[in-house]
Amino acid sequence: MEMKKLVAGLSVSVMAIGALAACGGGTDSDSSSTKSDSGSKPDKIVIWEDTEKAETTKAAAKAFEEKEGVKVEVKEVKMTDQQKKVALDGPAGKGPDIILLPHDQIGTVVDQGLIAELKDGEKALEPFIDTAKSAVTFDGKVYGYPKAVETPILLFNKDELKEAPASMDDLYKLSTEQKKDGKYGFLALWDNFYFAHGPIAGYGGYVFKDNGGKLDPADIGLNNEGAVEGMDYIGKWYKEGLFPKGLIGGGGGQALDQLFGDKKAVAVMNGPWAVASYKEKGINLGASALPKLPNGEPIKTFVGVKTYAVSAYSENQEWAEKFLSTLTGEENAKTMFEKYNEIPPVTSLQEDAAIKDNEVAAAVFAQSKDGVPMPNIAEMGQVWEPMAAALQLVATDKQDAQKSADDAVKQIKQQIEANNQ
Amino acid sequence: MAAITTPKQTNPTPELQTNHRKIAALISIVPGLGQLYNKQFLKGAIFFIVVLSYFLVNFDLFFKGAGNGPGDRGAIWGLITLGEVAGVRGDHSIFLMVEGIIALILLVFGIAIYVWNFIDAYRIGKLRDLKVEVPSLKMQLRNFRDNGFPYAMLIPSLVLLVFTVVLPLIFTFLIAFTNYKFNNSPPAKLVDWIGIQNFLNIFTVDIFRDTFVSVLGWTLVWTVASTTGVIAIGIGLAVLLNQKGLKGKRFFRSVLILSWAVPAFITILIFRSMFNETFGVFNTTLLPAIGLSGGVEWMTDPTYTRLALIGIQWWLGFPYIMTLTTGILQSIPEDLYEAATIDGATSGEKFRLITLPMILFATAPILITQYTFNFNNFNIIYLFNNGGPAVPGQSAGGTDILISWIYKLSLGSNPQYGFAAAITLVLSFFIMTIAVIQFKRSKSFKDEDMI
Repeated sequence: MEMKKLVAGLSVSVMAIGALAACGGGTDSDSSSTKSDSGSKPDKIVIWEDTEKAETTKAAAKAFEEKEGVKVEVKEVKMTDQQKKVALDGPAGKGPDIILLPHDQIGTVVDQGLIAELKDGEKALEPFIDTAKSAVTFDGKVYGYPKAVETPILLFNKDELKEAPASMDDLYKLSTEQKKDGKYGFLALWDNFYFAHGPIAGYGGYVFKDNGGKLDPADIGLNNEGAVEGMDYIGKWYKEGLFPKGLIGGGGGQALDQLFGDKKAVAVMNGPWAVASYKEKGINLGASALPKLPNGEPIKTFVGVKTYAVSAYSENQEWAEKFLSTLTGEENAKTMFEKYNEIPPVTSLQEDAAIKDNEVAAAVFAQSKDGVPMPNIAEMGQVWEPMAAALQLVATDKQDAQKSADDAVKQIKQQIEANNQ
Repeated sequence: MAAITTPKQTNPTPELQTNHRKIAALISIVPGLGQLYNKQFLKGAIFFIVVLSYFLVNFDLFFKGAGNGPGDRGAIWGLITLGEVAGVRGDHSIFLMVEGIIALILLVFGIAIYVWNFIDAYRIGKLRDLKVEVPSLKMQLRNFRDNGFPYAMLIPSLVLLVFTVVLPLIFTFLIAFTNYKFNNSPPAKLVDWIGIQNFLNIFTVDIFRDTFVSVLGWTLVWTVASTTGVIAIGIGLAVLLNQKGLKGKRFFRSVLILSWAVPAFITILIFRSMFNETFGVFNTTLLPAIGLSGGVEWMTDPTYTRLALIGIQWWLGFPYIMTLTTGILQSIPEDLYEAATIDGATSGEKFRLITLPMILFATAPILITQYTFNFNNFNIIYLFNNGGPAVPGQSAGGTDILISWIYKLSLGSNPQYGFAAAITLVLSFFIMTIAVIQFKRSKSFKDEDMI
């Protein structure tokens, strides 16, 4: 009896081991999936478009499919989430062919190996303005198609100021006059390096030296003579009480919006994203590029460029680029502007009536040409905090500009070094 | 022979004539076979099926398919090497690490089941050797219902716990020993094990070392000042509101608890506007109303920002302690106070000798967690003034506590995950040590009963 059962049990186990081995062999064959040939037409390409801004892209995708016979699937993913998402989805094999990201992330994304260099970059960039061109160029190579530009401009209350001022000196005079009535002329968040870069660069400072499309993280120009002069200029506005102390530190942006919205300030430096809320408050809003500094130079604001890039995991890179060149081309870019107020950095659209007649768009376009693209190398991440600290020390008159700038640059260099260890 | 020299007592079952237990255990190398031998067919089948399916499901994980490089490499290999081929179609170190950890956890589960299979076969075999009746299927089921039921109910949550709590913990722990950071992240690059280098960096990298002492100092001051204040205010108000004969107790309690009802981050942001130097209500209205100058630098002078922060934390924290204490006060027996009154104790003495010890006895563990909470209270520091104002010559702001400073240094726009994980471990170790010591010293964990 017992013997029989033992045998039966053993045979069951042997069968199981056999099944196990068979199973092991079985998985071998289907683990290597078929890869599509890059020369032939793919079934479809996938693009991640920003949420609630996808209609134009969908229309363009449809037209592309009719013309080329390649289906383009448009998925809506928040632009700010795309970098994190593609870092997981790409390697996992679920990623898209095209992503949308702010151009200043290009360096980190390339360092991570997530996006591919454009196959014919120089030709691709021909239609765009210079600032956009250098924004999407990293380490001398082109990594994306510019979709839209953003940069701070001068927004003013037309009821108080008939025409855009010609120079910062005019604004300065306006501010001193307004101050007598307990109001403010011109306001800006110049304790925030994003906004303060304008005057600092206008006087000759720079973040990283640009050597023909390659930014040099070892050459930081934020404590050179021009930068210090720029910081002194910034400090002047605070020291003379033209900028209230309430603009410094946490809650400064809120205070600025409130002062302008309550008509206690005539003009502010802010981005196009603030326009809607100002109009809602009933401001008769005017917009222009920022006026020239006392040294005759323009305020060189940071320019941000929303950029379409091709995923390194895409197996249809050529088709993705083909689609992008039509999507960012004149026709679609114009619809994108008309529908979503995305200001396209396409040179030929500058004189287009749609943009020219839109005061804000024209101002952003003009200011972008004077501006500097935000550095797109990863080292930029180490610049914000130290510079904000330096600017705050200057604004509150706790330390002079030279010493603050020297400290900040020293700290930026240390942090870059610590990061590269 | 060995059998002669060995004292008989060491062998627990010397008189047994059969050897079922040993045979059962031995043939359990094939799981389920021992149970089969013991004539427990259902149990044997379950063991066999469980182990077999375990193998079928996990075979790939253990022996194949890890990474994208050539050859069959398992998850444990992945965990040890963290990949060998960098690049877009190469090995992804972080995926490999997670897979490796999952494999390790599953391995532990698997070994546990396998070992249990041996133990069970041996145990039942021994029953047979002792000529005790082997439990029938019915008895086994009843036994399971009576004794095993709680375990069966707990197993799903245990599995969930392992993968939602234990897995991330192990992951963080392991990351601290790697050079994983933004500049060195897959797929472009491979992550490597670097031993305790991250821990050494905490004390050797310049930007960190120079500022560490001043930040640690403020962190301790902040922790003690904010928490002690919260506790004092909470207990004080609770005792006041518990006075006999006080009219409108409910009203006062409801009003005082309101600051707890508003989400903390909203309160902090509102306070941020109220402390605005030019337009905030403190400088424009409240301070001038009591005859003080309105020019206090709440946002730009470290001392004032610190005072403001501590005040806000008092505002945010006291309702919780007050509510807690109110509950305890109502459970203190009235006769204690009566006896004290007869003995001629003053109300101060009653508070010091009866009320306070009773409260502290019951709440000590919670009060300790209040301290650890504020030690790591990132929200208030970050939301109020982002750790500012700036202080000349140091990389942290004037109100940065360790956690917010680490956040800026290591998880800002250019994260250094390995370094951040190392500091997290050090901080957790620090806090846990203090908490454990305090917990052990507090009476609530020692005595069964206070009275």
